[in-house]
Amino acid sequence: MLGESTKAWGFALARLAMLLVGGLLLGLFIDHVVAGLLLVLGLALSWQLFNLFRLDHWLRARSRRDPPDVGGVWGDVVTQVVRLHRRKRYHKQRLLDVFRELRHSTAAMPDGVVVLNSQSEITWFNRTAGRLLGLRRRADIGIRISNLIRDPEFGRYLQRAEHGDVLQLPGLQPGKDLMLSFQLVPYGSGQRLMLVRDVTRQVRLESMRKDFVANASHELRSPLTVITGYLETLEQDQDIDPLLQGPLSEMRRQSERMNAILRDLLELSKLDASTDEAESEPVDVPGLASLLCKDVRARAARPTIELQLESAARLLGNEGELHSAFSNLIDNAVKYTPPEGRIVVRWATNAEGEALFSVSDSGIGIPAEHLPRLTERFYRVDPGRSRATGGSGLGLSIVKHALEHHGARLGIESQEGEGSVFTCHFPSERVLPPRAQS
Amino acid sequence: MEKADLSHHISRRFNEDLERVRNQVLAMGGFVEAQLQKAITSLIEGNSSLGESVALDDLKVNGMEVSIDEECSRILATRAPAAGDLRVIVAIIKTITDLERIGDEGEKIGLIASRLASMERPENKYREIKHLGRIVSEMVHGALDAFARMDADGALAVARQDRVVDEEYDAIHRQCITFMMEDPRTIRRALDVMWVVRSLERIGDHAKNICEYVIYMVHGKDIRHTRLEDVERALNKGNP
Repeated sequence: MLGESTKAWGFALARLAMLLVGGLLLGLFIDHVVAGLLLVLGLALSWQLFNLFRLDHWLRARSRRDPPDVGGVWGDVVTQVVRLHRRKRYHKQRLLDVFRELRHSTAAMPDGVVVLNSQSEITWFNRTAGRLLGLRRRADIGIRISNLIRDPEFGRYLQRAEHGDVLQLPGLQPGKDLMLSFQLVPYGSGQRLMLVRDVTRQVRLESMRKDFVANASHELRSPLTVITGYLETLEQDQDIDPLLQGPLSEMRRQSERMNAILRDLLELSKLDASTDEAESEPVDVPGLASLLCKDVRARAARPTIELQLESAARLLGNEGELHSAFSNLIDNAVKYTPPEGRIVVRWATNAEGEALFSVSDSGIGIPAEHLPRLTERFYRVDPGRSRATGGSGLGLSIVKHALEHHGARLGIESQEGEGSVFTCHFPSERVLPPRAQS
Repeated sequence: MEKADLSHHISRRFNEDLERVRNQVLAMGGFVEAQLQKAITSLIEGNSSLGESVALDDLKVNGMEVSIDEECSRILATRAPAAGDLRVIVAIIKTITDLERIGDEGEKIGLIASRLASMERPENKYREIKHLGRIVSEMVHGALDAFARMDADGALAVARQDRVVDEEYDAIHRQCITFMMEDPRTIRRALDVMWVVRSLERIGDHAKNICEYVIYMVHGKDIRHTRLEDVERALNKGNP
């Protein structure tokens, strides 16, 4: 290509030289060298200008016309321009294709997608998002999302959503009872991707499940009470065949276990029903803890239990829920620790201002692979053992729910064969100073 | 086109001020909408504590109104806006008054709901109030949407709904009178229900007012006390 262009330029220079020689000859012929040269140069210049004009004309008309058939170097320039143009158009087309493909695929996604800029203004959204949120194509681009989704809860979520936080809100469009879940994914410089999902069905199923569990446990309780009652009387009856004594007492034990499971299930569904944060009253945790420890000490064949109160802080929360959470933790420790073992109940605050309630035992411990699933309902590490001790399999589930109501989380550390530590971390805003002594 | 005007200011700060105060109005609107929703729910589900919380939260609405009002006065004093910007500020000042009144009516409904919760509930479980409440909250929602989008057509469509609310109101009115005549023991409850329905009807009126301010803000035409048909004709003449 370089050779080609040098050839064309050499040709052009040769032509100019020939023209100049021609002009000189013409000048000598008419006895006016300057005039001859000027005439020839003028002609050459106008030819160049004419070519330039045609090129300019063609460029202005863009690609709508065929390139002009100009000679000399100009022809070369035209070819270059055409080539450049073609390459640009090819790249543009390819980019456009990729872009269109991307847009089509996001538009076809079953989840709603809204792109927000750093001011939380809508930059783009797909069809599903438009349908779920009632956004209008074009008209709503550039409007702040919080101006259209005005629920105060959404506003709060938008301001301090952390990665992975999900918000559920009833649908905004009047006339449709939708339940939507929102998730914000930050990307780029301050931009955010908002995913919107229709979770109406899931929420309905979930509430049906909760209702079912609550109703079933409630309905089962009354017949069970009757059975337990009769079993108790039969057990005390002296006239009963001694052969039946064994089965009868076993039946009574099992019916008591069923009662315990139903009690826990009802407790759980009560916690489920109040999804909001717990009603808040100051709770005297040191007092509660010493009461629970006293209960344990009253039992026969139990491990040593020690109470370490390193803080006198009170907690803002629901006393009933905290009581059932703490007592479940302590019960568990007692259940899985041999009588010669040791349990430590501790109440303290840490450097971040969190309040910690922890129960550590020197019991059998929990293998690491069970830890993540421990708080699931009816999850058992060792089914045989758990049944033998009469657990319902719901204890830690209750603890987890009760803690969630208080914005707290449960930490579990365990070493198989050496013991476990269950720690409740309460956020600092729920911690109150001890009551002033009057 | 009016939307573009908002963002084409020589002074960027002025722009930000206007945008911020508009965002505040819509946040207040969102809060009022949620209040109204809670008030209606508390009545229908007989949830007295929810009703009381609505009544308590009305203080927040009042606080928002005061702070937005101050902000508007500040903008008027320091920026001396003209033309479209002035209309925006004027419309905002009027809108927050109506929003605050909607909040007040919501408070009333919440209080009555917490009182009615302890009483025997009618067989239809306040179905007609649920229906009217739905129409009214749709109106408030639509009015605020129109405000956010500067959408005069949307505002007009919402304003037209007010007629439906009035018809519903009359229907429930007649129904309540019938109940009271049939069984005097229901008079106490029916009177309370009448208050709720009255409040809902007023909220519809306030929503309609907000729509009128939106049209004023966008087109610069005052359409208060004008028949809607005339308004439509006038607006169509303005931009064919």
